[in-house]
Amino acid sequence: MNTITEFYYVLVFLIVAVLFTIVPVVISYLIAPRTIGKKTFATYECGIEPFGSAWIRFSVVYYVYALIFIAFDVDILYLFPIALSYTRGGNVCEFYSLLIFVGILAFAIIYAWGKGVFTWKRRVQ
Amino acid sequence: MVKTVFDDIKNTLKGVEISETSYDERGYHLAIESQKANIINIVEFFDGKGFYLEDLCCVDYKDYLELVYFFNNHKELCRVKVALKVESDKPAAPTISRIYTIANWYEREIHEFFGVYFENHTNLTYLFLHDEIDCYPLRKDRVPVTEDDRRLLNSFKPEEYEDGFFINLGPQHPSTHGVLRVVVKMDGEYIVSAEPVLGYLHRMHEKMAENRSYLQFLPNPPRMDYLGALNYNLGHVTTVEKLCSITVPERAQYIRTITAELNRISSHLLWVGAFVADLGGLTPFLYTFQDREHILDILEGIAGSRLTYCYFRFGGLYNDVDDAFIDATKQFIKHLRGRFGMYEKLVTKNVIFINRVKGIGILEQDKVPKYGCSGPVIRSTGIPFDIRKTEPYAAYDRIGFEIPTGTIGDNLDRYMIRIREMEISLNIIEEAIEKLPSGPFKAEKVPKKLKPPKGDIYHTVESPRGELGVYIVSDETDTPYRMRWRVPSYSNLMTFPYLAKGELISDAIATLGSYDLVIPEIDR
Amino acid sequence: MGKGGFYLETKGPIIKFAIAEKFINLARANSIWPMTFGLACCAIEMMAAAMARFDIARFGAEVFRPSPRQADLMIINGTVTKKMAPTIVTLFEQMPSPKWVIAMGNCAISGGPFVFEGQYNIIEGIDKLIPVDVYVPGCPPRPEGLLEALMKLEEKITGTRRFPIPEQKW
Repeated sequence: MNTITEFYYVLVFLIVAVLFTIVPVVISYLIAPRTIGKKTFATYECGIEPFGSAWIRFSVVYYVYALIFIAFDVDILYLFPIALSYTRGGNVCEFYSLLIFVGILAFAIIYAWGKGVFTWKRRVQ
Repeated sequence: MVKTVFDDIKNTLKGVEISETSYDERGYHLAIESQKANIINIVEFFDGKGFYLEDLCCVDYKDYLELVYFFNNHKELCRVKVALKVESDKPAAPTISRIYTIANWYEREIHEFFGVYFENHTNLTYLFLHDEIDCYPLRKDRVPVTEDDRRLLNSFKPEEYEDGFFINLGPQHPSTHGVLRVVVKMDGEYIVSAEPVLGYLHRMHEKMAENRSYLQFLPNPPRMDYLGALNYNLGHVTTVEKLCSITVPERAQYIRTITAELNRISSHLLWVGAFVADLGGLTPFLYTFQDREHILDILEGIAGSRLTYCYFRFGGLYNDVDDAFIDATKQFIKHLRGRFGMYEKLVTKNVIFINRVKGIGILEQDKVPKYGCSGPVIRSTGIPFDIRKTEPYAAYDRIGFEIPTGTIGDNLDRYMIRIREMEISLNIIEEAIEKLPSGPFKAEKVPKKLKPPKGDIYHTVESPRGELGVYIVSDETDTPYRMRWRVPSYSNLMTFPYLAKGELISDAIATLGSYDLVIPEIDR
Repeated sequence: MGKGGFYLETKGPIIKFAIAEKFINLARANSIWPMTFGLACCAIEMMAAAMARFDIARFGAEVFRPSPRQADLMIINGTVTKKMAPTIVTLFEQMPSPKWVIAMGNCAISGGPFVFEGQYNIIEGIDKLIPVDVYVPGCPPRPEGLLEALMKLEEKITGTRRFPIPEQKW
């Protein structure tokens, strides 16, 4: 079936992408000299020892941003198979059904916008 | 004003010795000798009258230490010196940080340099010095740090805070303009409290002043504020000239004005570039540095150096200016006037810039006397206070110029004031060049080893950052007994913990940038 | 390395190609990335060297990285005080190898104008703490001095000097 052979291109793309990131790291690991001091692997904080733990409770503004990201992400996830099977056919009503689908998913984002999630207060007391 | 204050103190506070002094000789109008029992009453009296604490310093007279408080008024010039004698063995004094917030830092500094313990002070920890120092540096004899003091001074440890975390806007940071460390307690993206930690560039200028003669100390003030170096040089030189009663010829006064204003323009140009770079716009940085190079070339021709000028001497200048300087300055004035339109389009009318700075970092007018702010910071709140108008020096009383003020006191106001100050400086330079008289550029018969008469003097100049004060105590030798520098960035920075509370961290960095801090002058 | 009290264990690279070494060194010399680390007055001259007039970008060193993890040149410009010394050593250790140090200005070379009898707060010269490759004298040195220091550093890395020495006109 020719759909399997089409995926070979994706496999080659995947391998090249992985190599593109790993090979420079390997090269610099092999070629560079190593100098290890007492503080080389410490966390960078402008030259000072960081105090306090990094495992703290995160503020809720960041959490709401993560929720909005999930909404966008689900959008994109559903659009991938649509993009793959879009070229077959040629009816205009496919386009309209796609628009309605994306519009319903966008309601979540418009609701968040109306609720003021995207604007952060400049000053809190 | 001086008379009314004199009479009021005589009537309301009993048992206080107050005397009038000659302003021209001493730099202050009234001198008060106080005791530990009535110092708080005196300070509260001045607070009630709307005076601000200009400076708080300490002088070691070997048998006793003297705490010197200077009070001044923004509306009308009336400088009062209050002296408090403290014993030199285990010195202690009451704190005035409840009345004036800026005294919090002044007293911490005096504690670590002189060993004076301030009762009821909330936070007497090390401000400038490192933990391993073993003596009080500015005392005349070597006094080792006592064990109790060492425990007290070493107690800066931020406590645990479970819901938020501490971040160091550390000494190495592209936006702290030098080595300023701010320990910031954060709740998400908002700042709960910000505490600056100073002293990473403490270069012992005040101790060096006691070891060097007046002439040998000349290179040091330009290194305190390298951006406004000529203004610091001017402050030092004018104070010593006032102390020794040296008259400076007219030509030298006008040239001092011209070069000081050129320096002010170059400092503000660098500030504009650095401020917008803090907000993320890296392009104006290149433009302002290019304009600044013109000024550096002009000043290099007469002063010989690009950054830390040491051009003024006691009695006048180092060498005269020539026609090349005048022509280059006139050309530069024309060039910079043409550039302001470009800056307006690039920065001032930029929507992103305005949204980032409008309404951020608002300093209210009634908070200003508590902190003793000066410079563009105080002018942005609407108070037209400029030393060049209230206590004119050099040729400023013969040249007409206006003082720009802001309305709200936010970052945008401080930006607009500095832009406007650059335009006004160009006008001042133009007028001074027209009025430049001919004549000698240096007073005659100024001795190489200056031996000023006994006494003390306080003099202020307006540096690009604000009010710079020099307090010299002389004992008739050729080295000063004590030289104290009251720097504007120190009191301006003290408002930062108040303004940063509750702000987003990116807005707090913008506020910090709008103060125009130069850290070596804070750390001296 | 003086009495700084730190250790720095240096191991050579795992693989060393004699032929590729020349090109690797040329690549390293042409793309030195400094760290933004201005201490005092000399920092302004370093900023001026990075600006349009004394362009340091034409030598490949324009990208000033704020983080030491991404930088390979540390330009110490300004006085080193005792309070700042542990910070400088920490930042130096946090830079990955290969790394170089330029000591710019008199204060970084030997304490500068702040050395006097009874001084209590500065370290007389940064080479008491970390190894220095190039020294640039001046108070502050001109930006051309910093560019010449960059040339000398490139000469140290590659072995040859790529640009001619400017002729003296007096």
